Amino acid sequence: MVSLFSVEGLSGLLFFCFIGLTLAGAVIATSARSLIRSVAGLALCFLGVAGLYYYLNSPFVALMQILIYVGAVCVTIIFAVMLAGSSELKQLTQRNGLVGPLAILASGILVFALAGLALKTEWLAAPCLVNRGTVEDLGQSLLTTYSMSFELISVVLLVAVIGSLVLARQGRDK
Amino acid sequence: MKLMLFAPELFLLLGSLVLFLLSTGKVGGKTARAVTLTLALGSVLVCFACLRQEGTLFFEAYRIDFFSQLIKLVIALGFAVVLLFSTELKGVDDEIRPEYYLFLTLSTLGLLMLVSSVELLTMLIALELSSYSLYLLVPMRDDRTGVRMQMESAIKYILFGVVATGVMLFGMSYLFGLTGTTYLVDLLPRLHQMMGSPAALIAIAMVLGGFFFKLAVFPFHSWVPDVYQGASNETTAFIASVPKVAAVAMLIRLTALATPEGQAIVTMLIILSVCSMFYGNLVALVQTDMKRMLGFSGIAHAGYVLLGLVTMQEVGYAASLYYIAGYLVMNLAAFLVICKVSEHGENLAVDDLSGLHKRAPLLALTLAVSMFAMAGIPPFVGFMGKFMLLTGAYKAGHLPLVILAAINTAISIYYYLSVVRVTYSASPEDRPAVLVGGVSKMVSVALVLVIIAMGLLPDQLLELATEAVRAIL
Repeated sequence: MVSLFSVEGLSGLLFFCFIGLTLAGAVIATSARSLIRSVAGLALCFLGVAGLYYYLNSPFVALMQILIYVGAVCVTIIFAVMLAGSSELKQLTQRNGLVGPLAILASGILVFALAGLALKTEWLAAPCLVNRGTVEDLGQSLLTTYSMSFELISVVLLVAVIGSLVLARQGRDK
Repeated sequence: MKLMLFAPELFLLLGSLVLFLLSTGKVGGKTARAVTLTLALGSVLVCFACLRQEGTLFFEAYRIDFFSQLIKLVIALGFAVVLLFSTELKGVDDEIRPEYYLFLTLSTLGLLMLVSSVELLTMLIALELSSYSLYLLVPMRDDRTGVRMQMESAIKYILFGVVATGVMLFGMSYLFGLTGTTYLVDLLPRLHQMMGSPAALIAIAMVLGGFFFKLAVFPFHSWVPDVYQGASNETTAFIASVPKVAAVAMLIRLTALATPEGQAIVTMLIILSVCSMFYGNLVALVQTDMKRMLGFSGIAHAGYVLLGLVTMQEVGYAASLYYIAGYLVMNLAAFLVICKVSEHGENLAVDDLSGLHKRAPLLALTLAVSMFAMAGIPPFVGFMGKFMLLTGAYKAGHLPLVILAAINTAISIYYYLSVVRVTYSASPEDRPAVLVGGVSKMVSVALVLVIIAMGLLPDQLLELATEAVRAIL
């Protein structure tokens, strides 16, 4: 038994905190009534995920996660929400009373199955340290092993940029 | 020479650069279409020239073999045919047509890259490239009806697509966790030893999910009717045909990760196949919109294609490839007629085809041949394809599945033939004659001939398909 106040114990506690943060953020994001609160939940969730990346030995990716997702993506969404200027969203359709319990039941089964799967399966022992997750290592694998994905993703980004321009331009005329 | 290995993709990539430059200036749809058409025809030639190339690129993440090259040729042909008959692009504003063609080209590029990817991450990104471009094509339809139907369709398409991608990524993470590699070459032997482990089976099933979405297999089918209805006719023609070829190719690559000992995967494929067939055919019976009907029929056809995968044998895989190639041709023929008959790019109800044999005899014939072929009536390709799938599944010992598929074929005859009935026996009333350009006439004649030829001479094609499948097993 590892003592809670040893290094491992504290880091384990922190790890669970990050998991809790991720889950809590996700729950807030999906269940909040107002959009702004949902976005805040999303930001919380992203923060938790960044913590998990840190534990996966990728400090750089964790930093980028905070910078891009929390810093940029969430802020952009907030901009969009404010520009759209929608007031509190009303629930458009009256939900069937059975939907809630059934949803809980279904997701409960899913969680149970996946958790069982994760516990029962013999996962590969954490593969030997691939690299130390530094910027150099990341750059090297992006330009060697994953060069194809790296180049291809720039085309995907190009599509996204042009696409958003085209759609936005079309919208303004109308 | 390494350049030849990558030539088809490079050609389209450079072409899309040209289109991108065009889209930054004030160029109308006509020029953009001419460029894209040249590009498409050129890429067919390049794909043909590279048919026998073999090798790997990009640190083994990208493999060129006869399988991938054959599929690339089929995809390039489909792309060229869609461009040949969508002469006017009626449903899209002239201003944004260069971008429209750019996305169409990039989507094809994504599909070409997809069929050569043998590494999970590369596969994912290639798939996303083709999907993103398609997501964008849907809302680019002009808003004639004023109800912004195309926006709703696009949002649905994106959301379902994202969920499918999420499921696939989750499965990929399991595969990595189990084997510690993302390369299919290394995954294959390791997973074959793990067929008893539920995690391996669930992982494979989840990764398959991403491609079930593309192929519109039940339960990843919900986007189909709305997207088909909301997208402009030419867009739907592309979405409904070309990506499905790539999806089947990838499904074959990934199903090969499992062996028949992984009974759960076989059972899952059987259930999905039966559900897709029944759902697609039964719902198609009551459709009045032509594109919606073809959408549901597409779900049913996806079910038929799975019959080949269920066998998990070379013969079955080859039959699936043959069938999806045939489906591409039949479907393109049907959409050619829809695009031409639709005067201003509006959606067509089945009744709008009334008396088509008087208004445009050639189109009526094309539609009739296409419908007969889809219904599986000899001597057309649909019959031969279904015959091979059914015999393949029967030999592999799936008799109940074969019977259910045969029942479904019978159900589908009703709605396919009722379209033929409307075109040939209903009176045109005051519907105008349909003008068809010379090129479109040639394309429709060519499609009809291919549908018949593929049905009459399946042996050579099946041999090609078998050779292709052998290259990856």
